[in-house]
Amino acid sequence: MPRKLSPDLWLFGVVVVLVSLGVVMVYSASAIIAADRFGDPLFFVRKQLVWALAGAGCLWAAMRLDYRTLERLVIPLLALSFVLLVLVLLPPFGQAINGTRRWFRIGPLSFQPVELAKFSLVLYLASFLARRPDTLRTFGRGPLPILLMAGAMAGLTILQPDLGNSLTLVVLTMVLAYLAGARSGHLAAVVAAALPVLALLVAMKPYRWRRMVAFVNPWDDPQGSGFQIIQSFLALGSGGWLGRGLGESKQKLFYLPEPYTDFIFAILGEELGLLGGMFVIALFAVVIWRGLRVGLRAPDAFGSYLALGLTLMLATQTLVNLAVVMGALPTKGLPLPFISFGGSALLMTMFSAGVLLNISQHASAA
Amino acid sequence: MISRRMDGLRIRTLIVAGCLGLAFLGLSGRLVYLQVVKHEEYLRLAESQHAKAIPLTAKRGAIMDRHGQVLAVSSAAETLFALPGRVDDAERLARRLAPILDEPVGEIARRLQSSKRFVYVKRRLPPAVAQAVRDLREPALGFVDESLRLYPNRELAAHVVGFEGAEGKGLGGIEQAWEAQLAGQEGRALVERDALGREVSGAPRILKPARPGQGVVLTIDATLQYVAEKEVDAAWRRTRSKAAMAIAMDPRTGEVLAVAIRPTFNPNTFSSATDEERRNRAVTDPFEPGSTFKVILAAAALEEGVVRPTDRVYGEQGAIKVASATIHDWKKYGWLTFAEVLQHSSNVGAIKVGLQLGKERYYKYITGFGFGTPTGVGLPGESRGQLRSTQRWSGLSLATMSIGQEISVTALQMVASFAAVANNGRLMQPQLVRAVLDAQGREIQGFEPRVVRQVITPDTARVLTGIMTLVVSDGTGRNAAIAGFDVAGKTGTAQKLDPATRRYSRTPGVLSFVGFVPADDPRLAILVMLDEPKNEKWGSEAAAPIFAAIGREALRHLQVSPRDSAPVQIVRGEGGATAEPTVASFGAAGSLRALVRPAAFTPVAEGARLMPALVGLSLRHAMEALAPLGVPVEITGGGVVVAQSPPPGAALPDGMPSRLTLASPAARR
Repeated sequence: MPRKLSPDLWLFGVVVVLVSLGVVMVYSASAIIAADRFGDPLFFVRKQLVWALAGAGCLWAAMRLDYRTLERLVIPLLALSFVLLVLVLLPPFGQAINGTRRWFRIGPLSFQPVELAKFSLVLYLASFLARRPDTLRTFGRGPLPILLMAGAMAGLTILQPDLGNSLTLVVLTMVLAYLAGARSGHLAAVVAAALPVLALLVAMKPYRWRRMVAFVNPWDDPQGSGFQIIQSFLALGSGGWLGRGLGESKQKLFYLPEPYTDFIFAILGEELGLLGGMFVIALFAVVIWRGLRVGLRAPDAFGSYLALGLTLMLATQTLVNLAVVMGALPTKGLPLPFISFGGSALLMTMFSAGVLLNISQHASAA
Repeated sequence: MISRRMDGLRIRTLIVAGCLGLAFLGLSGRLVYLQVVKHEEYLRLAESQHAKAIPLTAKRGAIMDRHGQVLAVSSAAETLFALPGRVDDAERLARRLAPILDEPVGEIARRLQSSKRFVYVKRRLPPAVAQAVRDLREPALGFVDESLRLYPNRELAAHVVGFEGAEGKGLGGIEQAWEAQLAGQEGRALVERDALGREVSGAPRILKPARPGQGVVLTIDATLQYVAEKEVDAAWRRTRSKAAMAIAMDPRTGEVLAVAIRPTFNPNTFSSATDEERRNRAVTDPFEPGSTFKVILAAAALEEGVVRPTDRVYGEQGAIKVASATIHDWKKYGWLTFAEVLQHSSNVGAIKVGLQLGKERYYKYITGFGFGTPTGVGLPGESRGQLRSTQRWSGLSLATMSIGQEISVTALQMVASFAAVANNGRLMQPQLVRAVLDAQGREIQGFEPRVVRQVITPDTARVLTGIMTLVVSDGTGRNAAIAGFDVAGKTGTAQKLDPATRRYSRTPGVLSFVGFVPADDPRLAILVMLDEPKNEKWGSEAAAPIFAAIGREALRHLQVSPRDSAPVQIVRGEGGATAEPTVASFGAAGSLRALVRPAAFTPVAEGARLMPALVGLSLRHAMEALAPLGVPVEITGGGVVVAQSPPPGAALPDGMPSRLTLASPAARR
């Protein structure tokens, strides 16, 4: 029988450390830009602090709420996600920023519906996979419906356009399906079918193509498409073993674009060096290890898949972000979980961590 | 069933975990590669693009005299820089710049071809030149604001004001001593927006704006300073002295009103001046005071009751033997009263009184008057003079020190000690800075007169003043007399100790006169000193007339009424303007603010009309200062100006009214 345990303290502690480090790094990376643009060096860090506190509230709420009650919310959350994903594309609702429509803006707050969509999808997948353990072997009854669901979501997301998150949605679904027992052959076939579509999507948007080119050889066009990744290299490279010291980054002085969001890890590497970078990577590894452990110890299949799904979501985003910053993947618009500046992403990530902690309290007797 | 499912899930989870682990390992390896293997290369690349962050110099605060007349001011100037990496054809650009900058083409071209990413082409250009360069529309050129230090009155009070060195740091006088207040805070700017030359624009992107420095208001009165310099300069040339100086002090407050020193220098071209010319001898160069120091002896002897002015001292017919040495008088005196000893400056008489006083008591008053310690007036390099402790006095010391030898003092120490006698025996802290103003001209720190100590009683001071008045009316100091005023003072002549022979040389040494006026209600203590004059030997013949000349004009400037004038109605100003009750009562209530007069303002930038500093002035004087500028004025309140807009030094655009807020003088403090 499931019994109530104390939550996973490792997971909890590491999340607290990561979020705190995030606030510090957001301040360090954004202060000068904020002072220049808004006349207030605290402009970004103040927002980040508010979001972190709100996130802490979400984490606490999720910890208190029995995860099994979440299963009842699958349909409403899924419906809400779709509605929001459609609404965000329509001019009066969605805010266009840098030519993309990814955000709702309510007063000073902005919200990215894909963050909710990712959580809803994981919830849906966990519920689906837990209820039909045996249908997955048949492509039409198992993998197909969930892939259609993920595909629909990813399709809406790609219209924003946000290739990074839509790929995350699809990859996550496939990995979760694999974990639940779907045939590798089926999944391989899906990947084979998806690749030309992906290639087409990349070819359609010139900026994606430029990113690909820049990824393959950034030094071909150091002032153009390769600019951001080169600045990221210079940031990391000039950090060396121990870094320049907290607050001492030079690359954040208008050299590295958006140093407090997607490329915050580059500034962290510059200021805190290899030592700091490895420490952060180790923290993420701990989060993922503990998350998978929670998944394997969950008392029921729903909890298991939910925990694994949320952990994989976190893992995917972390790895993709780090790989992009280090030039190992083409540039995607994915933030570094817990650390990057960004409201709704931080909120949902901390909520997910809360759910994981809740599941960890219900570990099976085994 | 469940366990079979779980086993499969466990295995697949471990497979996925393994994949994730590999990915983490791979990224860690990549991070090591980027941060350790490529460290040197990337660091070098990063540094080369960062080199374009440059300091922004802050506008240095102004130095003003006590009435706001500008003695040192920074005007805006622009510094031309170039980004050599953006220069396509250095020769062509240099040829375009050369006629505007008035420099050789080759020299400019050399700078433009620098391997650095950022070079200064020419610093601190006047506005017209900067505009001409701007009109070239060269993308590789840009400007940053710097300021140009100007000393509009050239040599006036140069030793007090000091000068700003090439690197923008104060290197002498107030400029050095008040560097922290004057300098402001440096800012930082990027001359290029981002790396690798993208988005270059002429205007630097300001990371941190520079904070302008604070203004320093001196106690110096520019008019008095001018008078003193004029007289000192003339005497210096006439006597062909090595150096000459005069210091004027308000004995009631210790405020230094004028420090005139020759040789001098023009701070605008400080680099061509020698150290001899730049040194502020009034505080850095101690000298043996000679007979003027007999006043200190007299103060001690009178205070201790060793002697009364009428007590008789035998002059020994002009020679006294002390510890195997014989000290002579210039005349063979017989019996003299103690007053006459000072009047005729008898060495024998002074020595006899000194021996009676004893070294411990004498030493107590020497230090009491501030000798042997720096005055703390706040100028760099101030000397404490030379004063040995009594244990190290020889058998002859008490005698020689009674006549002002074997001790050396600075001119400022000397004038301060006389001012103490004038001020009822109270030694005041010599003061050069009256207030510190923020960039808007508001006072943020004021300095009140400070009493150091009561050295002698007011009664002793009065008796001594009486004797010193006799020195001028009927003694060695006759040439220091000023018609209509009682002058108290003392002449001094000192031979110099020849450093080679350790004996007093026969050549003339230091001639001086120190005194104060009016004797009954002193407003001015003045020291005049000539160092190694070639033409004149006697203090009374060289220094005293200079004292009189400075004192005469200074008293008129300070509107001190002569002895026999009507005591009630004081007519102020040459033009017979009506008396101002506010100013007069102000003067009576707080002597510090008494010296109000219309300020003469020196324009600092060609063509620009600048707002003068008006705080502290009466309404009439403020209006006088504003009148030539043709500015409409809005006035609130009554009394003296306590706030003004725009701030001093700000440009006055046509038609923009200036606002003055006035309050009664009492309310100000």
